[in-house]
Amino acid sequence: MTTFAPYIEYARKAFAREATYRIELIAEIGSVVLRVYLLRSLWTALYAHNAAPTGLPLHSMITYTTVALLMSLVLEVDGTRVIREKLREGGIAVDLMKPIVVPFAYFSDGIGQTLLHAAAIVPSLLFALLLVRIDVPSLPVLAIFCCSLALGYGVNFFVNFLMNGVAFWTLETFGLQLIVRWISDLLSGQILPLSFFPGWFGRAVFALPFAAIYSTPLLVYVGIIPPAKWAAALAVQAAWLAATAGASFLLWRAASRRVVVQGG
Amino acid sequence: MLAAYVQYWKINLLTIAEYRADFFMWFAFTIVYHGTALAALAVTMLRFPSMNGWSLREMFFLYALWMTAHELHNALFFNVVSVPEYIREGRFDRFFVRPFDTLFQVLTVPSRTFPDGFILGLVTLAIATHVAGIHVTPFTVLTIAAVLCGGAGIDLGISLFVAALSFWLIRVDTLRWIVMSLEQDFTRYPISIYTRGVRIVLAYVLPFAFMNYFPATYFLGKHDAAFGLSPEVGLLTPLIGLLWTALSYAFWNLGLRHYQGTGS
Repeated sequence: MTTFAPYIEYARKAFAREATYRIELIAEIGSVVLRVYLLRSLWTALYAHNAAPTGLPLHSMITYTTVALLMSLVLEVDGTRVIREKLREGGIAVDLMKPIVVPFAYFSDGIGQTLLHAAAIVPSLLFALLLVRIDVPSLPVLAIFCCSLALGYGVNFFVNFLMNGVAFWTLETFGLQLIVRWISDLLSGQILPLSFFPGWFGRAVFALPFAAIYSTPLLVYVGIIPPAKWAAALAVQAAWLAATAGASFLLWRAASRRVVVQGG
Repeated sequence: MLAAYVQYWKINLLTIAEYRADFFMWFAFTIVYHGTALAALAVTMLRFPSMNGWSLREMFFLYALWMTAHELHNALFFNVVSVPEYIREGRFDRFFVRPFDTLFQVLTVPSRTFPDGFILGLVTLAIATHVAGIHVTPFTVLTIAAVLCGGAGIDLGISLFVAALSFWLIRVDTLRWIVMSLEQDFTRYPISIYTRGVRIVLAYVLPFAFMNYFPATYFLGKHDAAFGLSPEVGLLTPLIGLLWTALSYAFWNLGLRHYQGTGS
């Protein structure tokens, strides 16, 4: 068990560090609650003036957007952002010398940040419930939702890892990263259910890794993915997790060699 | 003062010529930033053709009007956003020993500013005006130009207000980020979809509705379903912009006096 100790310490430190930014956290909660209000207004107005899409009545839609916003509290945590900062300031070399597996350390750091932000879900949900009513599904659905969310969290971590890893080759990646984040917000189903996308594009978005982050857990939650298709949906997520993790492993191997060359 | 301002733009252009890759990356970001917002709107309205009586074409014009005014603000006044950073790092104090107005000096700190976003906005607005079927006369062009200036003034008023708060509070970055992101979200839809309290805030407290909603009802010849005001109210935008900028400038000066007080 001793081998896990440093990583637990990393997570604990990250939690404590994030907890000092209390105003930021309160602001984040406020921002989520305001967005719940905004999206409630939007969907209520749209459903009042148009025919509802099949299989997605207003209460399901509001549940979808509210749960998506609460999920964003933990999914917008980027534990690998430190790669970019440490590369610029040179701290990465020190990390590589430590007797740890560096990506695991960053993952633990991310977990610590996530746990603190997960705590913010409770007050956000309480305030949100003053504005909207959300559906609470049965226990099995909730259990599968949690599994799917965990897989999505993993895919999100490795997508971020890959994006930040690009910094090993070109130092200025912040703009690029924002571009990917904006596109991924749209294509992951965070803003809209992916089933709203028309035609072939609507089918293509489900084939991208972004759909594994928000869309699959949310569609399980609102019941659009029926129990019969749970296994297949989670298998696709697991495949993306394996693929992005594998790519991250290759990137890390190539990148750490590169740092040595620069240092020598 | 004019000579100094011309010099500022010369330095900006030279900097951009030097950092071309960086410039293109941020230009790509601007396209993605507005592109994803418009794409989300288009996808939503393919399913729900009516947004409280507004069609997709009209919604496109509503967004383009906000986008162009906002990008005009970014091109001319973006440095205001850096004021909290200048204060924190002690770089603000040097503005006091130079023979120019402090705000003028903030606005002319060399940065990699280029009106690329504004040009993109003008092109988008021209397309949106055509698509929305607005009959364009020289008078329309003049009023749209006045509305854009007024809109940029409203934006400046708000960012200047937040910047001036940093004379009292050290961390306003989160507040600024939230105001900016909520501005983009809440101005995207006709304010008639919101409840009365929020409509009043958007019209009279933080007058974002004058950036696009009121002028758009005027240009599109629509009925204002939020307050039942006459469409000509949209022509007040330049006045509101001027008023907001003046009020914020007074508040800024108040902050400056306070800041000098603590410094001595």
